[in-house]
Amino acid sequence: MENAVKFEKVSFAVRVKSMLKVDLKRMFKSKFFYILIACALVVPILMTVMMTMMDGSVSVDPQTGVETVIEGPENAWQSIGTLPGAENAGGMDVMSMCNINMMFMAVAVFICLFISEDFRSGYAKTLFTVRSKKGDYVVSKTLVGFFCGALMLIAYFIGAMLGGAISGLSFDLGTLTAGNIVMCMLAKIFLMFVFVSIFVLISVAAKQKAWLALCGSLGGGMLLFMMVSMITPLGSTIINVVLCLIGGALFAIGLGAISNTVLKKTSLV
Amino acid sequence: MNAVEIKNLSKNFGSKQAVCGLDMTVPMGAIYGFIGENGSGKSTTEKMICGLIPTSGGSIKLYGKDYTDEAVRSKIGVLIESPGCFPGLTVWDNMMIQAANLNIPDAEREVVKVLKTVRMEGAAGNKFKNCSLGMKQRVGIAMALLGNPTLLVLDEPLNGLDADGMRIMREVFLDVVSDGKRSIIVSSHLLGELQKVATHYGIIRHGKMICEMTADELDASCRTYVALKTGEMNRSKMLLGCKYSRVEEDEAGYIRVYDLITPEEIVSYLYENGICVTEIMTDKIGLEEYYIDLMKGGK
Repeated sequence: MENAVKFEKVSFAVRVKSMLKVDLKRMFKSKFFYILIACALVVPILMTVMMTMMDGSVSVDPQTGVETVIEGPENAWQSIGTLPGAENAGGMDVMSMCNINMMFMAVAVFICLFISEDFRSGYAKTLFTVRSKKGDYVVSKTLVGFFCGALMLIAYFIGAMLGGAISGLSFDLGTLTAGNIVMCMLAKIFLMFVFVSIFVLISVAAKQKAWLALCGSLGGGMLLFMMVSMITPLGSTIINVVLCLIGGALFAIGLGAISNTVLKKTSLV
Repeated sequence: MNAVEIKNLSKNFGSKQAVCGLDMTVPMGAIYGFIGENGSGKSTTEKMICGLIPTSGGSIKLYGKDYTDEAVRSKIGVLIESPGCFPGLTVWDNMMIQAANLNIPDAEREVVKVLKTVRMEGAAGNKFKNCSLGMKQRVGIAMALLGNPTLLVLDEPLNGLDADGMRIMREVFLDVVSDGKRSIIVSSHLLGELQKVATHYGIIRHGKMICEMTADELDASCRTYVALKTGEMNRSKMLLGCKYSRVEEDEAGYIRVYDLITPEEIVSYLYENGICVTEIMTDKIGLEEYYIDLMKGGK
């Protein structure tokens, strides 16, 4: 009878692969994921078309009487970033605030609900009983969040292009090249790691309290949100991509380690 | 080697001590009935065994290894409080998710097998949220059985099960431990059901293990009593109460005399007092009564 029970060790790669498989399967079975992707696709179309229609209209503040001219987009790329030499000249440029960078905050909704469901449903109990390495969980959730965020950015990009085409906007890149646009999108995608790591950390700390995770994530994300447009301009080069990649990796490793510690030191039920 | 060996385990929630200095030993091949009042620390102990809450002190060894060991933990099946299933997914999807977490190679075949074991193969396509309480409990047990676990930790697994469900669970428990290597820790308030399968017992109170024993030891500890009915129940009870140390009336209306005496002694004593005994039998107290006695401080 002695030592009759054999236990096999599973490698890190196999563990993460199986957990990632589960999380991706869950993501693709979740209605919420499709709603977010659909929103990412439709919002830029609606916004571009509406703003084009409202171009030049004047709104008057009833209190002060100050007139504000609503500026519509002049170029299809404005949903992605500001073209060099086309800075806002004092009018109300909604497109410079509500653009593709909103996806960095929208992904917080997905991550917070995705992780809180693990704890609310009791799945975390079953999972962490058979998986003692909490790091696997953090890695898997970060990768899935990144994947969802990247898909949302791509969906938004496609939506922006469709919106531009429907509104009859110019696709002229001026001094920029298609390469700059590709680098800009790549930089944004890699920068997603920074935001996802923050949202994962806040979500594992909040556990089943989705509202707390969401409030914390949106608050935490806002601190970094304003620098997204500076780090990933339309005229991005390989330098921007490398910077975002390094920043993303550092954040993912650093905050991932903190998330791991939070899971180890706190109750999982 | 024991399946579970706990020494001096403690858990504090702020100033409240949920578990204090608990020792527990679950031998290999045992069905360990873990009994205690509500809030006595059963679930907390089980959660610590499963690594779901950090311990405040003491040690937990599973099959001779530390409870944090990844390899050992991957062979634990668990059902604590509720099955860990996603309500929006089907039973099948939930089972496949757990199979993937356990790296089970032939997942589909294994899932079909465990669903058949708990008679849930027909409900595999149902969304988990649409299942009844009993069905959910069966799914939870099926999930715990996935991957051929060496240790099952089940907290109130019999809740919500119908008579057939309970019979199936008994068969499953006996089947799991039949090879003598695998063990089950099962906590339940349905002591009558537990007594039918448990080979070992641990009774916990206020976070401390007050008693650990085998089923044979329990059997030996359980008092024999004489139960009887007479034509004059009240006078009989009074007379017997004067002569013997512990006389009680049970729910079925029988007078129980717990002292070490023969039925013949009682019959002749009552006959001498002009009372005719209409029914008399001897029996042993069960786990439930033993437990209640223990909780009251008697034995």
